[in-house]
Amino acid sequence: MVSPAIALAFLPLLFTLIIRYRYYFVLFYRAVLVRVVQDFLTGLSREERAFQYVLTHATPGNPDSILDAFDHWCSKVEFISNIGPKKGLVLDRLLRENSPLNVLELGTHCGYSAIRIARSLTIGARLYSVEMDKSNALVAEKAIRLAGFDDDMVELIVSTSEEVIPKLKEEYGVERLDFVFMDHWKRCYLPDLQLLEGSGLLSEGTIILADNVIFPGAPNFLRYVKRSGLYKCHMHRASLEYIRGIKDGMAELIYLGAK
Amino acid sequence: MFLCYVLKTASHPFFLHNPFLYNFAVDYGGSSQKRETGTCHRVTRAGNSEGERGRKVTEEKSHRDKGRRGNIKERRKGIKEKYEVEDECDEDAPKRMKNRDNKKTRKNEEGEKSKRKTKIKNVKEGNDGESDDVKWGRSKKKEKAKKKKGKQELVEESSESESFSEGGELPEKKEGFTQEELEQLKEAVDEKRKLIITLKGKPWPMRKKLVTLRESQQFLEKYEGALGKGKGKRVYACKVIVMKKWMKFQRDLENFKTACIPWEMKIKDIESHFGSSVASYFIFLRWMYGINLILFGLTFGLVMMPEALMGKPYGSMPRKTVPRGEEGGAMDFAVLWDFGGYAQYSVLFYGYYNNQRAIGWLKFRMPLSYFLVGVGTVAYSYMVVIRTMARNANRDGGGDDTSFNFSWKMFTSWDYLIGNPETADNKFASITTNFKESIVEEQESQKDDNIHLTRFLRVLANFLVLCCLAGSGYLIYFVVRRSQKFALDGLENHSWWERNEVNMVMSLLGMFCPMMFDVISSLENYHPRIALQWQLGRIFALFLGNLYTFIIALMDEINRKRSEEDAVKLNMTAWEAGLYNGTSVGNASGPVPVHPADVPRGPCWETMVGQEFVRLIISDTMTTYITLLIGDFLRALFVRFFNYCWCWDLEYGFPSYSEFDVSGNVLGLIFNQGMIWMGAFYAPCLPALNVLRLHVSMYLQCWAVMCCNVPQERVFKASGSNNFYMAMLLVILFLSTLPAIYTIVTIPPSFDCGPFSGKNRMFDVIQETLETDFPAWFGKVFSYASNPGLVLPFILVMILAIYYLQSTSKTYKVANLDLKKKLQTQNEENKKKNKKAALKAAAELEEAKNAATCRQETECGESGQDRDITTSRQDRDITTSRQDRDAPSQQLSRGKASVNPLFPGLYTEMHLTGKQIRIPHIKRRAQQFLVVVKQMHILCAFALL
Repeated sequence: MVSPAIALAFLPLLFTLIIRYRYYFVLFYRAVLVRVVQDFLTGLSREERAFQYVLTHATPGNPDSILDAFDHWCSKVEFISNIGPKKGLVLDRLLRENSPLNVLELGTHCGYSAIRIARSLTIGARLYSVEMDKSNALVAEKAIRLAGFDDDMVELIVSTSEEVIPKLKEEYGVERLDFVFMDHWKRCYLPDLQLLEGSGLLSEGTIILADNVIFPGAPNFLRYVKRSGLYKCHMHRASLEYIRGIKDGMAELIYLGAK
Repeated sequence: MFLCYVLKTASHPFFLHNPFLYNFAVDYGGSSQKRETGTCHRVTRAGNSEGERGRKVTEEKSHRDKGRRGNIKERRKGIKEKYEVEDECDEDAPKRMKNRDNKKTRKNEEGEKSKRKTKIKNVKEGNDGESDDVKWGRSKKKEKAKKKKGKQELVEESSESESFSEGGELPEKKEGFTQEELEQLKEAVDEKRKLIITLKGKPWPMRKKLVTLRESQQFLEKYEGALGKGKGKRVYACKVIVMKKWMKFQRDLENFKTACIPWEMKIKDIESHFGSSVASYFIFLRWMYGINLILFGLTFGLVMMPEALMGKPYGSMPRKTVPRGEEGGAMDFAVLWDFGGYAQYSVLFYGYYNNQRAIGWLKFRMPLSYFLVGVGTVAYSYMVVIRTMARNANRDGGGDDTSFNFSWKMFTSWDYLIGNPETADNKFASITTNFKESIVEEQESQKDDNIHLTRFLRVLANFLVLCCLAGSGYLIYFVVRRSQKFALDGLENHSWWERNEVNMVMSLLGMFCPMMFDVISSLENYHPRIALQWQLGRIFALFLGNLYTFIIALMDEINRKRSEEDAVKLNMTAWEAGLYNGTSVGNASGPVPVHPADVPRGPCWETMVGQEFVRLIISDTMTTYITLLIGDFLRALFVRFFNYCWCWDLEYGFPSYSEFDVSGNVLGLIFNQGMIWMGAFYAPCLPALNVLRLHVSMYLQCWAVMCCNVPQERVFKASGSNNFYMAMLLVILFLSTLPAIYTIVTIPPSFDCGPFSGKNRMFDVIQETLETDFPAWFGKVFSYASNPGLVLPFILVMILAIYYLQSTSKTYKVANLDLKKKLQTQNEENKKKNKKAALKAAAELEEAKNAATCRQETECGESGQDRDITTSRQDRDITTSRQDRDAPSQQLSRGKASVNPLFPGLYTEMHLTGKQIRIPHIKRRAQQFLVVVKQMHILCAFALL
């Protein structure tokens, strides 16, 4: 029988763990508990709730206002892991500096990042956005149209990424990709990158931006990128979207061309 | 920009900068360092008088060239023949290939050389110079070929240069040398020496450097001996060889000495991976180990060994026997592990010792020795700690480090002992963040908004910490009281957990509370260095509080035992009377042989105290090791191998690998030592246990650090923190000797155990010795000397002397600071002067250049190619490696010397590429200027030192 005094001596450890990992607890609460409760209460999915909020609070046809509404909902009401305003600045800067023509986005989710990318694109540029989940894609479609981007500008492809990437060349007539944004399943980063390499869509100077490489993290992806020598890799360190204390980062890869 | 550049160059090719590694490389090549440094001095001196030397060289060159030109044709023939010979013998083809590669490098060298020498015919001279240099390599090869093929006739056929080379190899044949050839040889040797010195600064890959170095050294070894004149040649050669051997021997001796320092290589390895702060912990650990070894030697050699060898054997007396009631379980492991049973009744503890005045045939005064060793260990520890502190204090020198904050950061933040790329990256990152932070700090020092929030948070954090401290203190007090209750009930009725509750709780609190403080301190938003100090202070307070709570509880226990002892004394007389009565009834002859195990005995509080401390040490050690294994090793295993199949990145994200906690470990070590000092008087085995513990933890922690820790994100320098540790050690030493001395002085020793049994106080042993072992007059002198009338003036004089010494040292410090300031101002003045001179020289140079170009235009038709006089790239010896190549070579003609505006002594070099200068006095000016600059650099270097 362990005496109570020894159990009491573990109290500081408990407090330490609680204080040190408080952001993770907050994240757990907001991303899981609140979501389950709200799903049960409203009968709608999280994305639909977000879109309803955006519909009632944002100006249609104004991407900035829609993005703001999304940000507000995600930081104040509930939590959706969009790219967020802070990391979004990096994305905006990269797009503005390179003005890519063909952009591929893996993982549309509810359309936040698609709107963000489309906002900064030049005239004549085209965004292919891939989303696996049908209901999410519906919401994303509505959000994108609400922001005022038509089918020529943003093409939403409802399929899994490993099916879409080999078909991009034939079915969608993409010759080369100038910019790839990855924000889907972290486990799929590496296979999709290898698919992209194999498909010949990457050319020298293509920028690949991968979100959330530190938290939740894509270690295999990073390891591969560093070892392969095909990319110039740069890490943008930031905190996780809408939550301050969790470190996260985006990996910016520049394809150096096949060897 | 410059910062980035410095950092980049600093972080990437660190092994090129690193003098230690470089020396290692040189050693590897098999040359002696001494020679190198010697030549280095020579060359720098030559560099100082560059002006005169330059001119001399020019004259010599032009003079020699006339004679040489005649030889060229012959020599070329010789070379051709040599090539043919080489083609014949293809055995050493790979070597030749290598040599040809080297030829290229030499060509580069030669290019510079030829430019510097300001030759008149550039193209021809270049070729000539090249052949001049390459010749040596070829002639060597020729030598080999000759030996192999045995073609003696080639020797006659070959040109004189060959015979010359032969002569170079075999000093006996050197009679045929002309002055000119000797001159050449000398020059070549000089060239090689220079190459060896400047090799560090060449922008070549390491392998090439090594190869070039080895070859140059071989060349030097071959021809250096041939440089003497006349009869002195052989002596000189012998001298050189002997010198070399001597140097080699010395170096080997040094290596041997280093190998003899325990764990030196291990610590160096850790230092290269984790930076000097982690290494400082291990150095501290080693130092502690040394001290404990001496303490162990004292107690073992003067107390434990004599008692074990010469004292009465086990079982001869009640105090040396396990009592009858405990005999059954005295050999159980659980009992021994708690240091009861046979372990309690052994030399390991105070109670075993006898109060016999002299033991054995040596008449060893055991009680006196016990007392003196107890006092001596403490006195020795005081002495060592204070001496080390004084030495460290001398080293920091003092002065204001706050001025030139950024310069210090820029030039001193790199840790040159790092040899691991990951650590280097971390260090690089930490330097950059450090810069960012300090810039932000500098900006924010003016505007400090929301000061109320930070103040509130700081107060809150301190409140939380105080609560934590009070809570832990109360918990320990509660546990100790409970354990007393258990002891009254009898320990056998309770579980292991309850018996070891005190130690467990103390260890756990000592482990977890610092973590909590660390988390709380993030509230305060202090600068990391200040935060570290706060953290150390808090942990110190926690440990101290725990220790003192423990001691206070122990005091209660001692008092309880003493009252018990009084009761036992009364019973004892009754028991003896009963025994006497019984025996007188039975048979009246002599005392009855009662077995010593049956004799009733007192509780012996001294042994109890010793046991408590030993248990504490053991449980502390176990907790440390178990934390190490679980917290570091298992965690590292988990992170490493579960990372393949986990939904987030374990290595970067949540658990991650652990960092080595320098402050916590140092404090743990210090408190451990404090417990040793406290308990060593009552348990002579404590130093031995501690030596064992330190030994094991050295290996274990070395392994754990290398195996499962990652370098800290903020690698900070250890310099300066050492004295901080020492100061803490001193405080702990004082605080731990306090209770020990208190118990010795105030509490009478137990009546039936220990070396002082039967005495009123423990220190009575000294008086006793004085009375019985010394002549009467000595006792008298001692009693006079200990008279307060003498002692008080003595103490007064001592205080005065201390005051005087302190004030003088303060004055010296102030004088030192003044000198420092003076040097700084002088520096600034020199800089200004230098700038002025540079501007002036530049202006004149510009003028001269214009004039020269005018003249050139007129002369153009006449003298063709004869006119290129280039002074170029006067390499400075101070320059460090890569700056050489990367630093923008600024032309003097533009009026800018590349003197680093922040720190002139460090990364500077002069690139004089004034092109097409003909007017001599301008050149002289420039050279004078160069000399001034160099002197200034040397001054700055001194100032830096």
